Amino acid sequence: MDFNVDLVIQSFPLLLLGAGITIKITALSVAVGIVIGLFMGIARIGRIKIFRWIAAIYVDFFRGTPLLIQIFLVYFALPLMTGQRSDPYVAAISACGLNSGAYVAEIFRSGIQSIDKGQMEAGRSLGMTWVQTMRYIVVPQAFKRVIPQLGNEFIALLKDSSLVSVIGFEELTRRGQLIIAKTYASVEIWTCVAIIYLIMTLTISRFVAFLEWRFAKDDRH
Amino acid sequence: MIVIENLHKAFGEVEVLKGVNLHIKPQEVVALIGPSGSGKSTLLRCMNYLEEPTSGKVTVAGTPLDGEANINKVREEVGMVFQRFNLFPHMTALENIMLAPMKVKKVSQEEAQKKARELLERVGLADKADNYPSQLSGGQQQRVAIARALAMEPKVMLFDEPTSALDPEMVGEVLDVMRSLAKDGMTMAIVTHEMGFAREVADRVLFIDGGGILEQGTPAEIFEHPQQERTKSFLSKVL
Repeated sequence: MDFNVDLVIQSFPLLLLGAGITIKITALSVAVGIVIGLFMGIARIGRIKIFRWIAAIYVDFFRGTPLLIQIFLVYFALPLMTGQRSDPYVAAISACGLNSGAYVAEIFRSGIQSIDKGQMEAGRSLGMTWVQTMRYIVVPQAFKRVIPQLGNEFIALLKDSSLVSVIGFEELTRRGQLIIAKTYASVEIWTCVAIIYLIMTLTISRFVAFLEWRFAKDDRH
Repeated sequence: MIVIENLHKAFGEVEVLKGVNLHIKPQEVVALIGPSGSGKSTLLRCMNYLEEPTSGKVTVAGTPLDGEANINKVREEVGMVFQRFNLFPHMTALENIMLAPMKVKKVSQEEAQKKARELLERVGLADKADNYPSQLSGGQQQRVAIARALAMEPKVMLFDEPTSALDPEMVGEVLDVMRSLAKDGMTMAIVTHEMGFAREVADRVLFIDGGGILEQGTPAEIFEHPQQERTKSFLSKVL
């Protein structure tokens, strides 16, 4: 088997461009996912029944159906609602963000439930509202505690973002496909793509480990 | 200051409080004693609605408690100290004390900080302002918790077994702070197993058993001349 090194070197800049887009949509989806996940996670354990229901349905739907189908649904359903052609960017980030939000919601829910209920009682007994106590006391503690799970979720999301190639979005995987279509060098390009993904996921996991270490140090004080 | 009328509280099938009537006067120090499971902590927790009564009426400083509508307003007037301190672990001692005045009473940061330092001084922990709870001993944590409650300038202080989670050598420092509070005229309700302290500081002692106030009176009456058999047998075990 010949491994065409020149081709890899030639394609590398194009693949890196794709990797940049992968990072961009992952970062934006993570941001969307954290915001949605935080509110849905809190809604799931809040006292308002209708919010609990909405959050439960949301989490069940997005965890219970394939991301690929969600991407198609968002991509083809958005034009029906807005009357305009879907912007692949918006569709990709919406689908990935909504999907990630469901997992993040469960992470936050368990994190919040792991905080001693005496914390909520202490906050409430000082005259703070439920929302204030959540915001200043419970959520900051829960957030620290769930950083490792959030890290895992973001690594998963980075890899799953390859699925948005199906709507023609030119991120890393799609770039690889396009280069292979021209050069037929499947093995070279997919190897190269895999290594680029690996570098990105390892970077995230190291960064999360660093954050964990930082916060553990804070707690020791 | 606190008026409780025919208070019932049930957890599911289990009725913990069976029609309690209690009137705590301004500046009065009331000690609640009794065996565990008697309902004394539940009674205390009904006074600031941490437990919602099943039926009956609780009035604090003239305001009847009726659920979420006014509960935060009333809780500003009622400080609470917990057995397990429940300090906020992600904040320093100073920040623990400053948080509620800033968020609830919208006090400025400078003012809150000034007040917090005064309170730490008062509980003898001026040098621990920047320490996190995990860096403090149990007794120190409980004193910070008392300062935190006092920062809201409450009219009543509730203590739920404030020394039960402490090592014996730390009990004294917490009781000293409570003693000085009582001397300054704070209205206090204290669930406690410290009989010596109850006898010394309380104006009135309530013996709680079986979900109600079985017997009450001055410390001398309860500790020297208990009338009820249950009270006598309880005291003989703990004194």
